[in-house]
This record gives sequence, structure tokens and C-alpha cells, in this order.
Amino acid sequence: MKVLLNTNHGDITLELDAEKAPQTVENFLAYVNSGHYDGTIFHRVIDGFMIQGGGYEASLKQKPTRDPVENEASNGLKNAHYSVAMARTSDPHSATAQFFINVNDNEFLDYPGSDGWGYCVFGKVVDGIDVVDAIGSMKTKPKSMFTDMPAEEVVIEKAEVI
Amino acid sequence: MSAALTSLQVKQAQPQWAALFISDLHLTPDMPHTAKAFFNFLNTKALQTQALYLLGDIFEYWAGDDDINDTFNQSIVTALAALSKHGIKIYWLAGNRDFLVADKFADACGLQILNEPVITEIAGKKILVLHGDAQCTDDTAYMTFRAQVRDPAWQQDFLNQDLHQRKALIATMRAGSKDAQKNKSMDIMDVNLAAIDALFESHQVNLMIHGHTHRPHQHQHQTKQGVCIRFVLPDWDYDAEKTRGGWLSINQAGEFSLVTNAEPTFTP
Repeated sequence: MKVLLNTNHGDITLELDAEKAPQTVENFLAYVNSGHYDGTIFHRVIDGFMIQGGGYEASLKQKPTRDPVENEASNGLKNAHYSVAMARTSDPHSATAQFFINVNDNEFLDYPGSDGWGYCVFGKVVDGIDVVDAIGSMKTKPKSMFTDMPAEEVVIEKAEVI
Repeated sequence: MSAALTSLQVKQAQPQWAALFISDLHLTPDMPHTAKAFFNFLNTKALQTQALYLLGDIFEYWAGDDDINDTFNQSIVTALAALSKHGIKIYWLAGNRDFLVADKFADACGLQILNEPVITEIAGKKILVLHGDAQCTDDTAYMTFRAQVRDPAWQQDFLNQDLHQRKALIATMRAGSKDAQKNKSMDIMDVNLAAIDALFESHQVNLMIHGHTHRPHQHQHQTKQGVCIRFVLPDWDYDAEKTRGGWLSINQAGEFSLVTNAEPTFTP
């Protein structure tokens, strides 16, 4: 199962692991298929760590979400370089739409992490690594409540299953 | 925890708010996500205000300023000091749990301690700020306890004890307080409205902000000097299953906004 993220900085193809992270993949696909991600931005870019998006429109308005998905971080998948995982709040089972792409090996995010849960990996980048690298190394500047906003807008124009 | 403050270098030229008010975070090492939410607040919202008012019970307990070097306490001090270094004025008033905070803490954080209730003027408005516990006059047992622990002689006796002894005593008191709350009706734990009206009148103000009751709301009071508005601040808990927390803001035009269920930050 692959999903194409068509961004204004180029295409990123994600391969999803429905076997290891069935509920998380189902959740992600529901957002893809409903068009939720179309027009959302990468709002948190930290070089050498990760790029996070999928929750806010370019106007910084937060998009409504579905119910949270159960944390499947103990599935053995690692927060390795170019893996994709779900963002969440301090509640381990709070992931909704926001996801992040690791731009480093972030072992400390793996199950069990610092809170007994860790962050659930559900896929990886298989094409467009150069695009991910370019976003990851963008200059950032704080905007509104966002402290690591890329100085140049990064918009997912369309997300679709391919 | 200091890593959360790296983006503090940038300060908004035109602060969005004249002041932000928070209370009842009940910060303790047992609630790391609440502390994290506080650091995140300092790192984002608080950078966009001219003044930050801490209206009591920021800490779950404070054993005395000689406990300032405790790792957890130090992380809070560092974060507040970083904020004040960026020109944001920080004001503190005591809650019913952290009333032993004194000058050493204030100096380390670069904040100013206020004695409640106190009138502050923001964006052309006179506002009475307080914690709120002193107005829970229906809770006679608490009022007796409060009179005791706010007595300077009692405080000096307490502070003369060894820090370990004090911490042990606080642990006992906290356990007892939890039991006591279970047995009290919710009505008693709220402020007494006559006590509130009396405050409006004695201070000749028509705006009041307090915390303590954990019942965030904008109340309207009909008093002798007309309609008065009272804001009650929310408590914070980002360690519970259902997270909560928030603040009251006032912008340069003197408009208030009460945020009671601030979105917890989605992170890795």
C-alpha cells in the first residue's frame, strides 16, 4: 500500500505497513481518502530530528479530526531515518491526523520510549527522499504558537493512495 | 527540559497580548506532561505577551526557598528566568499550596511577588487579582487551617525545621487533603458569593480574576457599583486521560479571552 504526498516542494511516496500497524494504517488511509490532508502543511520542521504535519491548514487553522487511534508502537517498527510515524499528545492513545517523518534515527521514540509507549511507526518513505531532506533542512522561524515553522510554506497539495 | 527553550531567542516585536493569566498547574515531578505543557506554554504563548500573571498553586507544594536546587524546581526556575530575560514581566501571587515561595525564588526567576488581593492596571482596565482560596469562607475548617499556615510565626517555625522533615510533613498533609476533599460537597469548595461581592465593593473595581476552584468560567455579578465581571481560571492536567488546561488573555484593546481546554501539543 502506497500513498503519494504531492507537496509544493515535490512528491513524497510513503509505503505503509498494514500488517505491522493495521489500525494506524487504516486510520491514516481514512484521512487520505477523505481529502483531510489536502491543503495541510508541515508546521514543525526540526533539522536532524523530524518533519511534522497533517493537522493544520496554511492559515494555521486546525482541521477537525476523527477519534484517536490506539497506539501500536510495540509492533517492532523503528523510528529509523525516513520512517513515518504518528504524532500524539502526552496521552499514548491520542494520535489522530498529524504524522511525522523521521529525518534521523530516533531510537528514543521507539517503544517503550520514555513513557512506556513510544511513537508508532507505520511506514517509510520509498520515493522523494530528496524532497524530505530539502524540507528537513529548511530555515525555520516561529509563527504564532508554532516554534519550528518552516520559513517557506510546505503544503501537501494532495494526498492519494497509489 | 532546557532544550524546550531554544527558540526563546526570538521575541515578537508587537506582543499579541497585554497580559496572560494562569493558575493551578499544581506542578510536581509526578506529572511530567503537565510540566511539559507549561514549558511549551512559556515557549510559545508567553512569548507573545507583555506580562504573565501566575495566580497561585503553580506548584503542588513548596517546602521553602531552600528547596530551589531540587532538579524539578530548578527546571521551572530556569524556564521562568529565561522568559523574564526576554522582557516579559512576570507576577506571582501565592496559592494555598505554594505560599512559602519567597524572595530567593522570586530573584532567581526574575519575577515580582504580589500580595493578594491586588489591583493591577492592564490595557486601561483596573483588575483585582487573587488566588481565590481566601474567599471559600463556607469551608470553615480550611479557613482555620489557612489562618494558621499564613501566620508568619507558624511559617517561621515550619521553615526552621529540616528540609526533609518539612517534605515529610507536606506529604502527610497532601494525603489528608485528598481524603478531606472527597468528603466535602462541591458547593463548599467554591467561593462564597457574598465574599466576592464584598471584594468588588471594598476595592471599587468591576473586574476580578482568580483561580483555586478549578471551575473556569466568566461570571457576572450585580453589585452596588453595577455589573461586575469575574473570571475563574482553569486548572491544568496534561497527565490525565482527558487533558485540560488553559489561560485568560487580555489584549491591548482590553478584550478578554478565556481558554479552558487548550489543545495539548501533538509531538514526538
